[in-house]
Amino acid sequence: MSKSILYLTITTLFLVKLPLGSYAAEVTLLRSPAAEASSLSRVFADRSGRVILSWVESDAKNHALYFSTLSKNKFSKPQMIASGTDWFVNWADFPFVITTDQSMTAHWLQKRDEGTYNYDVVAVFRNPETKSWSEPRVIHTDGVSAEHGFVGMLPLSDDRTLISWLDGRNTAEHASHDATGHGSGGMTLRAGIFNANGDNMAEWELDELVCDCCQTSIAMSSGGPVVAYRNRTESEMRDIFITRLENESWTTPTPVYVDNWEIAGCPVNGPSVAALKDQVAVGWFSAKDNQPRVNLSLSTDNGDSFTNTVTVAQQDTNGRVSVAMLESGKVVISWLETAGKSASIKAAAYSYNGELTESVTVANTVSSRQSGFPVMTSRGDDVFVTWTEVSSGKQVRVARVRF
Amino acid sequence: MHRALKVAAIVIVGYAALALILGALTSFQAIAEQDKPHSQRWTVVNYWSITCAPCRIEIPELNLLSKELDAVDIGLVGINFDEDNREKTLMLAERMGIEFPTLHQEQVDALSVSPPNVLPTTLILSPDGVEMARLIGAQTRASIKVQLGQLIGSAQ
Repeated sequence: MSKSILYLTITTLFLVKLPLGSYAAEVTLLRSPAAEASSLSRVFADRSGRVILSWVESDAKNHALYFSTLSKNKFSKPQMIASGTDWFVNWADFPFVITTDQSMTAHWLQKRDEGTYNYDVVAVFRNPETKSWSEPRVIHTDGVSAEHGFVGMLPLSDDRTLISWLDGRNTAEHASHDATGHGSGGMTLRAGIFNANGDNMAEWELDELVCDCCQTSIAMSSGGPVVAYRNRTESEMRDIFITRLENESWTTPTPVYVDNWEIAGCPVNGPSVAALKDQVAVGWFSAKDNQPRVNLSLSTDNGDSFTNTVTVAQQDTNGRVSVAMLESGKVVISWLETAGKSASIKAAAYSYNGELTESVTVANTVSSRQSGFPVMTSRGDDVFVTWTEVSSGKQVRVARVRF
Repeated sequence: MHRALKVAAIVIVGYAALALILGALTSFQAIAEQDKPHSQRWTVVNYWSITCAPCRIEIPELNLLSKELDAVDIGLVGINFDEDNREKTLMLAERMGIEFPTLHQEQVDALSVSPPNVLPTTLILSPDGVEMARLIGAQTRASIKVQLGQLIGSAQ
């Protein structure tokens, strides 16, 4: 307890380099509903302002997905959605839950028996009328034993969910492999819309060649839902791209920013996108020339163009970026600042013309994969951040940051 | 064409250097290297992950390389980038067909190297544990041998 008080005092008072007129945000550690041995958490706020926290509890054989809802700064009693002994759970690719006023959608990755590395994306949908969960169903229709994962989910309404995922159907073992180890067709980015029963209402291939191991991210702009992801070209450029669903078709993917980061490998460090009306913000990590960097790009035309890019952090960072939009129009970005094996979860607010206004250390953690990907969501001008605290064990933590 | 010739020349020179060095090491290893602790030798460190397709593709090459290097007292070890527990790590290593040793987390912590930003990444450590090379992307036996040859040659 004393450690928590000390930690809060330090985090609320300790300022990083800020320009004149800027000030620190206020961090409040909330009581975590997650048990010990919990990890892989995510927060999500729906349009009504309901905040939901999801996480995974694991033992030697079993994984279970839980959620809890925030009400008056207290989380509800945890509820388990599903569990399994055949789930594929990875520090960078893990189950989570989203919600609307009336419905919820959850997903996990389920291993295939016959494939060494192969797994499917399985989802369940809570019907707003019957208040019951659908049967688990594989969301992709290829039937191919391959890797499917790195899911993004966004509610379009109470009975429709947009899901994006990386789809390895073209990299299956029957496909030939090139020198870099990828199937001839490469990893694809796909998306689909599902109703409250889990029926597939539409499915698209958004990009035929994308980075294999980076998260996808979805947000709703006034021009339609946008998906941000790490692209891959034949010449192994791994820059961040964006596409938008407009009139039932997706716009041609375009780069958010041209890093020209050329790597024949996987950064395992996907982008994060957030939107408010026609403003779209994308944060991401790159390490061109082995120079780690976190960038934030801002658009005022629903992601058609990004005219304002700022470098948020460089050198002492390993990325793991999350972005949220405040009601005030400011953008908040979080990332890991590293110092050897230690790390801090940093969060900074930017005005929409790219000026830093506030910055704060949310928590101290470790730089290894054990600490996972801290995730943010916003409600009004509050941001909620969740992460995994690593000490003798692991436990999910959550804090409110008031900007 | 000119660039291709230069690359070929570098590879040939690298091979030649490595062959000389490996030959020399083999000749002297009986008298000079037998009692040397495992960590006090040139070591190739490969970071892998079950989710990383190019990692999986380079594993057969690394398996073969590990046997070749072991004969001349150069180590080749793996690190599970995902930091799964030991039981799961060994299970994943078996699934991936990894035949070289996978380090315990304590051994990883003892290395004075920063983890990679990209997978796969392969490091070459000098006998005193200093990172001498960081190779990003899928490697082959040849690409690692060239690097080793250059590094060991320049250290002689």
